[in-house]
Amino acid sequence: MPYELIAILMFSTMMVMLFTGQRVFGAIGFVAVIAAILLWGDRGGYDIGFSAAIKLMRWYPLLTLPMFIFMGYVMSESKIADDLYKMFHVWMGGLSGGLAIGTIFLMVLISAMNGLSVAGMAIGATIALPELLKRGYDKTMVTGVIQAGSSLGILVPPSVVLVLYAMIARQPVGQLWLAGVLPGLMMAALFVIYIAVRCKLNPALGPVLPKEERDAVPLGEKLRLLRAGLLPLAIFFIMMFPFVKGYTSLVESSAIGALAAFLAAVLKGRMTRRVFETCIRQTLGITCMFMWIILAALAFGAVFDGLGAVKAIESLFTERLGLNPWVILILMQLSFLVMGTFLDDTAMLVIVAPLYVPLVGELGFNLIWYGVLYTITCQIAYMTPPFGYNLFLMRAMAPPEIGLKDIYRSIIPFVGVMVVALVIVMAFPQIALWLPDLIYSR
Amino acid sequence: APAVVRAQSAIKWRWQTYAGAALGEHVTKPIVDYINNASNGELEVELFYADQIVPTGELFQALQRGTIDAVHSDDDSMASPTPLRQFGGYFPFATKHILDVPVLFNQYGLKEIWEEEYAKVGVKWLSAAGQDPCNFNTKKEITSVADLDGLKLYTFPTAGRFLAQFGVVPMNIPYEDAEVAVQTGELDGMAWSGITEDYTVGWANVTDYFLTNNISGAWIGSYFVNEKRWADLPEHLKAVVMSAIEAGHTYRNQWYWGGEAKLRATGDQLELRTVPAAEWAEVENAAKAFWEEIAQEGEIQQKIVNIFKEYNGVINQAGPPYTNG
Amino acid sequence: MKAMRRFITVVDAFNYRLGRLMMFGIFVLMGVLLWSTFSKAAGSPSLWTLEMAQFIMVGYYILGGPYAIQMGSNVRMDLFYGDFSPRRKAWFDAITVFFLLAYLGVLLWGGIESTIYAFQYGGERSSSVWRPYIWPIKVIMCTGITLMLLQSLSELFKDIIFLKTGKPMRPDQGAGPDQKNTASADQKDAADAL
Ligand code: NA
Ligand code: NA
Repeated sequence: MPYELIAILMFSTMMVMLFTGQRVFGAIGFVAVIAAILLWGDRGGYDIGFSAAIKLMRWYPLLTLPMFIFMGYVMSESKIADDLYKMFHVWMGGLSGGLAIGTIFLMVLISAMNGLSVAGMAIGATIALPELLKRGYDKTMVTGVIQAGSSLGILVPPSVVLVLYAMIARQPVGQLWLAGVLPGLMMAALFVIYIAVRCKLNPALGPVLPKEERDAVPLGEKLRLLRAGLLPLAIFFIMMFPFVKGYTSLVESSAIGALAAFLAAVLKGRMTRRVFETCIRQTLGITCMFMWIILAALAFGAVFDGLGAVKAIESLFTERLGLNPWVILILMQLSFLVMGTFLDDTAMLVIVAPLYVPLVGELGFNLIWYGVLYTITCQIAYMTPPFGYNLFLMRAMAPPEIGLKDIYRSIIPFVGVMVVALVIVMAFPQIALWLPDLIYSR
Repeated sequence: APAVVRAQSAIKWRWQTYAGAALGEHVTKPIVDYINNASNGELEVELFYADQIVPTGELFQALQRGTIDAVHSDDDSMASPTPLRQFGGYFPFATKHILDVPVLFNQYGLKEIWEEEYAKVGVKWLSAAGQDPCNFNTKKEITSVADLDGLKLYTFPTAGRFLAQFGVVPMNIPYEDAEVAVQTGELDGMAWSGITEDYTVGWANVTDYFLTNNISGAWIGSYFVNEKRWADLPEHLKAVVMSAIEAGHTYRNQWYWGGEAKLRATGDQLELRTVPAAEWAEVENAAKAFWEEIAQEGEIQQKIVNIFKEYNGVINQAGPPYTNG
Repeated sequence: MKAMRRFITVVDAFNYRLGRLMMFGIFVLMGVLLWSTFSKAAGSPSLWTLEMAQFIMVGYYILGGPYAIQMGSNVRMDLFYGDFSPRRKAWFDAITVFFLLAYLGVLLWGGIESTIYAFQYGGERSSSVWRPYIWPIKVIMCTGITLMLLQSLSELFKDIIFLKTGKPMRPDQGAGPDQKNTASADQKDAADAL
């Protein structure tokens, strides 16, 4: 059987197995090891699965994974972000749609303190959402605000997705993180513009906070609340400054960040026994989920590589179909978006990235820039039904008046904004590359 | 590609090299291309780069089993389970030039030792290659031996063990991660290659200085094949493989010899630094003690160290150009 | 049936305790990385920290894996599965779990071969300067994979018992489990997190 056919067979078998609802790592790992045995069983082949475990062990940037996950849980579970929310509340309440805009700002700050989207989602759904609904904000819009805002967690550094991408694409994490800064802020700005315009056109979507309620908070208290914004900035700088200056390595910085978040929660008296237990248990659970999927996907990748599948696909596109690299890139992003609707961001990362990233490199594109495009696509994947963490989380956390339909409807305009952001970064690579070039140029 | 008439049952090999794709293009791919072109489709070799199918630590077992059919690597970094392990890669100050390696193997008896030792562990050793010297490329400047202190360097296990006495912190990570590791702060640089490799694989982009002093004049690496796979190969294809390897040696000899000179002279990414020879002698002398230490480890080790001593005695007596490292 | 129940009780209890212990591994990992930072700041960077951290991480996710299965942390693609009734889920799982078992079985096979190799030729050692022997971590990996296998079997047995008796053995099979309260709280929290 020609290798291209085996490759397609492997891929489609895996998709079918995923649809059976078995644990993702089991489905991927099964296809990988069985394919390896069928192909190379006469001479080893059964060792590919375990080889992947050794490979995974030596991938040192993955040490940051539990650290960033832990940080996220400490922040969402200990509610150290509550004050932050209050700050935006009192300062932005006077604007039409101000609380929703404030929520986006909150999400940007939370994104700067953790590497995944889950924490922002939990904080948004538990702290911001009830308040927004109480103030008469449109439920569909605010549901979308929180889901979209939390997705910034993987674009604004630190980002676990970009760490994983860095490993797959063999690109420097520091540069990738910096490359995510401006597109992340730009995307947040686009969200804000969208909210402002919609509330301007229809003020009922985001009513202004009544004057008496705003005046109830004295100026002194307002200024005091501003200090709440310092905490996330402090954690961000404690973690990032020594890293960017080269005093600490990436993995060391992640441990410093995790410790800083933990100490902040302890000092604010929020680290109760229950919170502590939940944080470390969830960190183990989510880390295991990631690691086992990556382990299985690495084996899958090794077999896929062993078939020369990437080379085959590349020659199919460039030689046989004679496509221009940009056309290929756009086709890839489109197929990525389609796959993203029914896969989640982790699955996208570990299954699709090893196929696409080398191809992008072969086509001569900048892989730092592509990392940003890729992350934005992952954000869209994270948002879109039927598969996305935000949907599970929203279903579990949203108040009863928000139905599944509202959740699905709410994301449409924000996904639209994300696609616009994707196109802008594609057309103007400098938005991503300017900052890393500035800092790393010599 | 145009359709080529191929033999009915082509023998297929999966060949993994220690090098990443950029370097593999020069150190391994020419050999694979040669085999694929010259064997008229009877032997098809697919080349895989560092850690692509099997991580380096698992490489030897995978070769024994046949998950991988052939390997290009050095005994040291592939963790060879033989007493030869520490002599692969860069055995401190064992050689001065790239041509010393084939001379040591073909004229001074290393070839027989290597053949014998690998036969014991069920792997066919084919040939050893000389490559570039082991210089340093770093983010921080090195102008004296004391500057080595505290540097986290990506280097070979044995070279690392040797350099640790000067305060170097040797790091062990996958080859393809080294460049990123400099940027994530895990590494301060490399003691891994000559300047040709620094520029070829992109390490020159992330480091600033190149130290012209080396700790060994030529990398010793080898080509290995699964024992059964080799035994099953028809004689004429064995000849093709061996010719391909010889052609690869010739290509690499020129590529490195020319590259080292040209990039030192005209490369614009790494600034050259040199520790005065008199001071570097401290490192060379430490190597003498290190040789004795290794020789004590066993009979084979003793034998190889003696061969190195004998050869170095010869070239030292011969004088320049043999002694210019 | 009785043997299955006994198996479930023993395996789940063991993996639960082990998992609860591994939870604290996050602090061990943090400690090693902070020590690495500290020793560097103090001018004598540690030779062993990165590799030690890698070993800890392996123990953390491989030995913690079975507990993660108990918590239901492993994501599934629930495009169709999500809408199934508990019975149909159990039916599907009881069949597709053999994929998982096969994967873990091959993983273990490779693991055992690799561990045997680690004992041969005088003992495989890491190629770092620290040069630790590799067999302890490989033994830990094989142990963890074995426990994953046992946990997967336990999940299979839960599905079989549920299908036969209609009595829920897990929260996703309807009412709470007939086991520890803590385990049920764990599973609920894990579901919340995703
Ligand atoms: Na982030
Ligand atoms: Na999706």
